[in-house]
Amino acid sequence: MNATYSFSTKARMRVAASALAALVLAGCAYNPPKPWEKGNLSKPEMTMAGDPLDQRFVEHIYSSKENASGGAGVGGGGCGCN
Amino acid sequence: MASAGFDFQAMSSSCQIRLEGRDETDLSAAAERAIKEIRRIERKYSRYRSDSIVSTINQAAGSRTSVRVDKETAGLLGFASQLHQMSDGLFDVTSGIFRNIWNFKAGKVPSQEQIDAVLPLIGWSKVNWDGERISLPLSGMEIDFGGFGKEYAADRAATIIQEAGIQHGFVNLGGDLRVIGPRSTGQGWRFGIQHPRDDGQVLVSVELAAGGLATSGDYERYFEADGRRYCHILDVRTGWPVNCWASVSVVAPACLAAGALSTIAMLKQKVARDFLEDQAASALLISPDLALQYVGSEKPFPLML
Amino acid sequence: MAATKKPTKYGSIAAAALALPGVVLHAENAPESGEVALKYLHYNDSQPGLDRITVSSPSIYLLLPISPRWSLEGTAVSDAVSGATPRYHTAISGASRHMSDERHAVDVKVTRYQERASFSLGVSRSDEHDYTSNALSFAVTIASDDNNRTWNLGVGTSSDSIGSTNDANLHESRKTTEVMVGVTQAVTANDLVQGNVTVSNGSGYYSDPYKEPDVRPNKRGHVIGLLRWNHHFSELGASLRTSYRYYHDTFGISAHTISTEWVQPITPRLSVTPSLRLYSQSAATFYFDPIYDKNVGAPYPPNYFSNPPTYISPDQRLSAFGAVTGGIKFVLQADANWRADLKVEHYVQQSNWRIGGSGSVGLDNFYANFIQLGLSRRF
Repeated sequence: MNATYSFSTKARMRVAASALAALVLAGCAYNPPKPWEKGNLSKPEMTMAGDPLDQRFVEHIYSSKENASGGAGVGGGGCGCN
Repeated sequence: MASAGFDFQAMSSSCQIRLEGRDETDLSAAAERAIKEIRRIERKYSRYRSDSIVSTINQAAGSRTSVRVDKETAGLLGFASQLHQMSDGLFDVTSGIFRNIWNFKAGKVPSQEQIDAVLPLIGWSKVNWDGERISLPLSGMEIDFGGFGKEYAADRAATIIQEAGIQHGFVNLGGDLRVIGPRSTGQGWRFGIQHPRDDGQVLVSVELAAGGLATSGDYERYFEADGRRYCHILDVRTGWPVNCWASVSVVAPACLAAGALSTIAMLKQKVARDFLEDQAASALLISPDLALQYVGSEKPFPLML
Repeated sequence: MAATKKPTKYGSIAAAALALPGVVLHAENAPESGEVALKYLHYNDSQPGLDRITVSSPSIYLLLPISPRWSLEGTAVSDAVSGATPRYHTAISGASRHMSDERHAVDVKVTRYQERASFSLGVSRSDEHDYTSNALSFAVTIASDDNNRTWNLGVGTSSDSIGSTNDANLHESRKTTEVMVGVTQAVTANDLVQGNVTVSNGSGYYSDPYKEPDVRPNKRGHVIGLLRWNHHFSELGASLRTSYRYYHDTFGISAHTISTEWVQPITPRLSVTPSLRLYSQSAATFYFDPIYDKNVGAPYPPNYFSNPPTYISPDQRLSAFGAVTGGIKFVLQADANWRADLKVEHYVQQSNWRIGGSGSVGLDNFYANFIQLGLSRRF
């Protein structure tokens, strides 16, 4: 058995990703805001980053109970919670 | 979070800087540097000071000698040149000498002969400008930066404050506004748009978290004669005041852009809306009968309740 | 696609004004206020007839703006774990690992803010008495001229050493590298969308020293696609945060994660956020169901000794299952500087909840509760 990259399901992922992207964009026309229209986007709950401690805790819990983890950024080490 | 306001007089206007930040001494230091910058620009581009670059250029008018300008002035003259072109000749930094015949304090309508005598001295297309050197070909020609100097100063002041790491506040130079960033709570700052016929009354308010806001109005300097209003915004082609809009307010990424757009919109008269739409601007136009018209996103201009 | 409005861009006059030096500052600024946050986390899980582990975990977060150009961030977490954790086929009840363990994790990140870009360097370390992990990461963000689009790039590497309390001679290690590329786009004044792709490659010891039989490949790679979409509802003042994550690795596991949060301000100071998360994964190619050899019995699968497989694992984490988390979070912004929050979540893992396929057989459902209590102060 080899463990090199041979993601047979890569294509499937791409389809899923583009389907969701299309869904996202269909709901709202592409109309990027001007600087003074960014009031809503600058609200803390609208930024991609969230509560740092909350996120770390939840990531840690899920990575000890589920196989998949990560995706939102790099960094942070593993743990012995196999 | 500390909050501080700084009131001062500059460029013949009442000015204010409002800041919020971590440390009050940081806010004061930043405001002080910003005010210094405003005063520097005022000195450099004042046509009342004989040592200003503007006076140097004007004194050389008709002498066939050109004046080499520094980088900052070259940038502003380049901008003036672009505005002239983009406004089809309506925005013109040589139009200041109309004041010789249009005296708004005296309130007297000049004769057509007087106007005709001045018109040949006006026109940016007559100016020799190569990006580094400028010369005014006719004796009596003048340029001035009154059309955007205050707006430029507001933007520069905001930049200097931002460079100091301050992210919340605004600069207001007599109604030419530039927001540094929202309040520390994330909310925008609320500004009033003046009622064009009732001094001190606010007609509409704007909430801004960024960008610049400027208003051009027929109420800033004007007089009435024979039942007609003559305002200080003059059509360079005819020498007569515009009369289509009571005021035009524009929200733009920088105060300099907002000021230029609002002034040109006033000069564009009946086609102001088309012009603003072409420029992808957000604007509020108030007609002399006080009807409100919006261009672009209506959101920055909620009606004051 | 309903592109009703033409894309907003600056007109020529605004562009000319912005082109003048010093009129606008295009700088990514460091956060100007510092923050210190404390959280107390409580976790407990159970399976039918068995209370498993309880984790108490205080953590601290610190954000220090050093100058308008530099900031420093760090977190420290300490977990105290108690209880029996079979982490095994649930049919096998004997806890092989004595669970009265502590984990200490620290990470520090320094960020430099430039015109339209930021650069972060992070280090982290996690320590248990049988497991140590060190990681290094470097991330770059680059914003567009109008600040509506940000490119996110990151590379990370981690080095783990694995021991076992059951086997003092076990000294194994593994190295992992990770690369992420992503983009965040403000699509409208109310929509922020992000797409990230992460590829990771590792080699070393992946087996679980506390499970028998457990032999896994010594290489593992994964690819992750993450899509996030935040939408603000102006009329309600609410924000909907949704995300979808696709994960696939060389163990043969594919996983889908969908999560949504609805942030609803109740008063200017109080907001409530219900959340729902759905997760589903397929099994690793070498995972075996809890069906044991007739002669030898548990934990060995049929024919284990007559025809031993190259790779094998009974780890429930490698099985096929689905999971649902429901939660609610309350955030109280007491004043400009003080904030308190409470979050309660309930998690259920069930093999027949796998989406788009059947789950692994013979596994008990798994339940967990997460509680977070936090306090933070800006300064």
